[in-house]
Amino acid sequence: MTMTETHSSLSGTQWHGVNSHVASLQTFLRSVLLGKDKQIDMVIACLLARGHLLLDDLPGTGKTTLAKAIADAIQGQLARVQCTPDLMPADITGFSIFNQKTRDFEFNPGPVFADVLLSDEINRTTPRTQSAMLEAMAERQVTIDGKPHSLSPAFFVIATQNPIDSHGAYPLPEAQLDRFAIRLKIGYPDREAQRQILSREVHSLGNNNDSVDKPSISLDDLQRLQQQVRQVTVHPRVTEYLIDLVEASRTDISVNLGVSPRGMMQWQAMAQAWAILNKRDFVTPCDIIEVAYPVLSVRLITQGEATDDVIARILNQVKPPEYK
Amino acid sequence: MKTWSRRRIETILLALLSIAAVIPFRFFTETHVCFLSEMSCICLLLGLAVLFQSWCKRFRHARHVTSISIGCLCVTPVFFGVIARAFGTPIPFEMSALTTFGAMSLGLAVADATPRIWSLSLVSSGFLVLFCAAISDDPKAVVFPLVWMLGCVWHLVANRWERLDLAMPESVERTWSLRPRIILMASMVLGIGVYAIKDRSPSSKPFEFGFMPTSGGSGWSDPAARSGVGTGEQAIAAKDHAESFGAVDSDIFLESNESTLFDMFNDSLGPPKMKKNVWERRQGMNNDNVIPMHENAARTDQGTGGFSTDRLPAKKHTHAKNVRSNDVVQWDGPTGIRLAMQRYDTFDGHEWSQSENLSHSALTRIDIADAPWFFDPASRDSFLSAPEAVSVGLLKIIGLNSQRLPVPMLTAGIHIKAIDRRDFFAISEDGCFFMPGRKKVPPLTIVHVANARLTEDEIREHLHVKHGLMKSTPDLHGLEPVTAKMIDDIVQSAGVDNLNPLDQLATCIGQLRSDFTFERNTKDTASTLTEFLQSHRGGDHLFATTAALIAEKLGLTSRLVTGFYVRPESYEITAGHACVLPEDVHVWTEVQLDDGRWFEIEPTPGYLPPYYEPSLGLMARQFAVAHWPLMLTLACCLVSSYFTRRLWVDYLLWAVWYLSGWLKPRQRIRLAVKIIETRARVAGSARPVGKSQRAWLEDLVQPDSRVATAAKRFADSADSLFFGHGYDLAHQDAMELVRLLRVRTIMALNHKVTQ
Repeated sequence: MTMTETHSSLSGTQWHGVNSHVASLQTFLRSVLLGKDKQIDMVIACLLARGHLLLDDLPGTGKTTLAKAIADAIQGQLARVQCTPDLMPADITGFSIFNQKTRDFEFNPGPVFADVLLSDEINRTTPRTQSAMLEAMAERQVTIDGKPHSLSPAFFVIATQNPIDSHGAYPLPEAQLDRFAIRLKIGYPDREAQRQILSREVHSLGNNNDSVDKPSISLDDLQRLQQQVRQVTVHPRVTEYLIDLVEASRTDISVNLGVSPRGMMQWQAMAQAWAILNKRDFVTPCDIIEVAYPVLSVRLITQGEATDDVIARILNQVKPPEYK
Repeated sequence: MKTWSRRRIETILLALLSIAAVIPFRFFTETHVCFLSEMSCICLLLGLAVLFQSWCKRFRHARHVTSISIGCLCVTPVFFGVIARAFGTPIPFEMSALTTFGAMSLGLAVADATPRIWSLSLVSSGFLVLFCAAISDDPKAVVFPLVWMLGCVWHLVANRWERLDLAMPESVERTWSLRPRIILMASMVLGIGVYAIKDRSPSSKPFEFGFMPTSGGSGWSDPAARSGVGTGEQAIAAKDHAESFGAVDSDIFLESNESTLFDMFNDSLGPPKMKKNVWERRQGMNNDNVIPMHENAARTDQGTGGFSTDRLPAKKHTHAKNVRSNDVVQWDGPTGIRLAMQRYDTFDGHEWSQSENLSHSALTRIDIADAPWFFDPASRDSFLSAPEAVSVGLLKIIGLNSQRLPVPMLTAGIHIKAIDRRDFFAISEDGCFFMPGRKKVPPLTIVHVANARLTEDEIREHLHVKHGLMKSTPDLHGLEPVTAKMIDDIVQSAGVDNLNPLDQLATCIGQLRSDFTFERNTKDTASTLTEFLQSHRGGDHLFATTAALIAEKLGLTSRLVTGFYVRPESYEITAGHACVLPEDVHVWTEVQLDDGRWFEIEPTPGYLPPYYEPSLGLMARQFAVAHWPLMLTLACCLVSSYFTRRLWVDYLLWAVWYLSGWLKPRQRIRLAVKIIETRARVAGSARPVGKSQRAWLEDLVQPDSRVATAAKRFADSADSLFFGHGYDLAHQDAMELVRLLRVRTIMALNHKVTQ
């Protein structure tokens, strides 16, 4: 039985649109990044949940490729910032310049005004520049020279950082981390995926995803999808479960900083988006658990214990609601 | 917080066990009506508290009623203590205090409070159980702390396990037998611990008599202390050498003009001279023990002192000269036993006589706890080697006109306070204790009697037929052929050819007790053995003689014993002793073991046969031998049930599912989940506590695509029903998964995963 046959909060037509958009996004991105279906689903969920994505992985694993593909998929404008220690905040947000002809200051928007911002190796730039994105990520606006400037409604930040280069790196502050919805590790592809990558490289002369149609999702469609995600039902028992988990993250002995209310809202939004990806219009405890690792790994500050171990312990400590 | 969590129920049960540990102290020494009322009241209040706690959501004032019930529960023992004292049947203060402690522990466990409060309840109930075991003198009291400890181990293991299970679900083995195994191991460790210290327990007993007013344990208590000070008379009397001067709480002693034993045996005093105006007990006391104030108090009580404005009703007062006590002796010890006075080992067909000379004129003196004890040299060594198998009784001589002391079988030593001269005691030629050179044992003498306990195991080990002694029927004590033939018939009719000697003897004695009638001093009573065997009616001397002859016929050495029988109904709780009357005179039989000891048998119906406690092993063997077909069948059933348990559980669950068609979809899904989880538990794949049911189900059925599809549909439906919009999608899906996911399927899936 499919979800379109059920009495849900979305009409049948709406469900059809949601499913087809999500399916086309999945198909396209999976064709770009082979063998990483779960990570791609998580990225799509992050996009639908109006979150921002932090990719924390080794060089050459497809982070930039994925960001470009997302921008392509939603027909949005992609801006890329290669973060370096000398990168200034104005290089991201933009700046006003005096036009001698018009005798006036003209605003020259920075890359933050793009629909998809790829901030490559974000931990290489200084905290001052990193913090320039705080307002943009949280409120989708930037204030320059005292004037607020709205960003694209579909503003989506994909930041990458390289975990092995520690020299000359500025770890992201907690406030910055909390503005990301999830942190993902893409990891190396499996053997079969690597075989496909090599094969495709030989036969298609570098045009990796020409054979797959780009999804016909406009920015408006994306915004509609994001609104529909917010309509996904969360049962009170599931809400209680989520709160229990959040509180457990705050009281765990190995955690210095637990999940903030903002993090909790993003966790719920991620679970709602995950439910949509699974063709449901309600959240189950499994959705909460599925998105827990990427959501918590970006915002739990532990006392040296591996974050994944702490997350596993927190999840095991709280009994999920049962079929009662 | 759940109203009825496992932790809470276990805490309540442990608290109840702690109250149960107080019961043995109180039940046998208090008025049953009062005690049972108190316990009923506690149970009632507990039930009320529990009931209203469960109804908190239904009734507005349920929470208040619960609180009030718990409060009343805590003070119930105090309330009954006051009431009982007012009605003249006082409960000892410390017993009320202990019960209050237990009631408060129960109240804490019942209170809808935090786990910390329950932990407090656990600690208090544990203390109470251990304390009760510590102040008890009954070896069986150790059962309570053992059971409590096992329960507590279960409780703690479950709690720790629960936490561990949450933190490290992959590391916890979840099989149904793990916890019982842990309990088994804990009980083994406890058993080894108890075995290791068993020999030290008598020497390391932490609390002696007097630690608490009634701390003698279950077997001893002081009625004077129990009753409180009262008029002061009993308290004063109890305070000074109570055991040397007889029954201090009896009028006989208080008003007695006779010389005390102390006077008679104290050479320095000479013949007692009654002094005028001197407190009568002072005449038998050293000056060190005299407290003048007591003398005054006693006289004041008699009305010769000052004048009091408080007028009490005249106390019933009986002078000794007017008191007529029929008691021969009073016995403070186990009842239903026999006190031997004289023994005879030879029977000539008509009369019994003593042939063997067992006399000893010099008993062995051994000081135990500064008290001089005099032991029979023949049985001293075996007695001292096993002090734990000794029981000490108190014999009060009242009207015994004999120099012999009536003592239980296997009596090895006697002690009279302040008597330290060996020549006061001797062993007669028939092996009985007596006081040589005296006409009779002085009245009001109190003799401490130490006798060894004999177990059934020892009898079975040491009772052997002496083939040289086994006599053919015509030679049996030169009996008339008719009599000998009838004795032989009894033995033969008992069908005792292939049994153990003890079983043979017991069978014959059992037949004697069932086929013959006890009659004494009637005109139809048989006067000879032959008449007795023909008429099946007669006195106990004939029963005893017949039993002795039967034992001889079986190849055992036997003898006749005369003495007194301590009737169980003659025990007076308030006085603390059993009264032995002249009509309690009795005759019975003793049989010899191969190590020289004698044990008694009771052939006369109407008299309790002696009880030789069997060990647990012996009882188990006897039970197994007696009921082996049943046991074998039961064992086979248990074993087969164990090995086919999965099948049975599966069938049972399937039947439940089959019969549950009338349930609503939501209830049916719930039942389906329960059934699947139970099956998985039986198959050893229980769901980790922190794992969602859907995720667990998907992992479980992953190897089989068909079941996985059904499981996915089921989980989708259940999710929709319980977390979604609650639409009914689930009937057929649930039906299919429950049908597919049987115990053996789950085991096969597990097998695939492990492979």
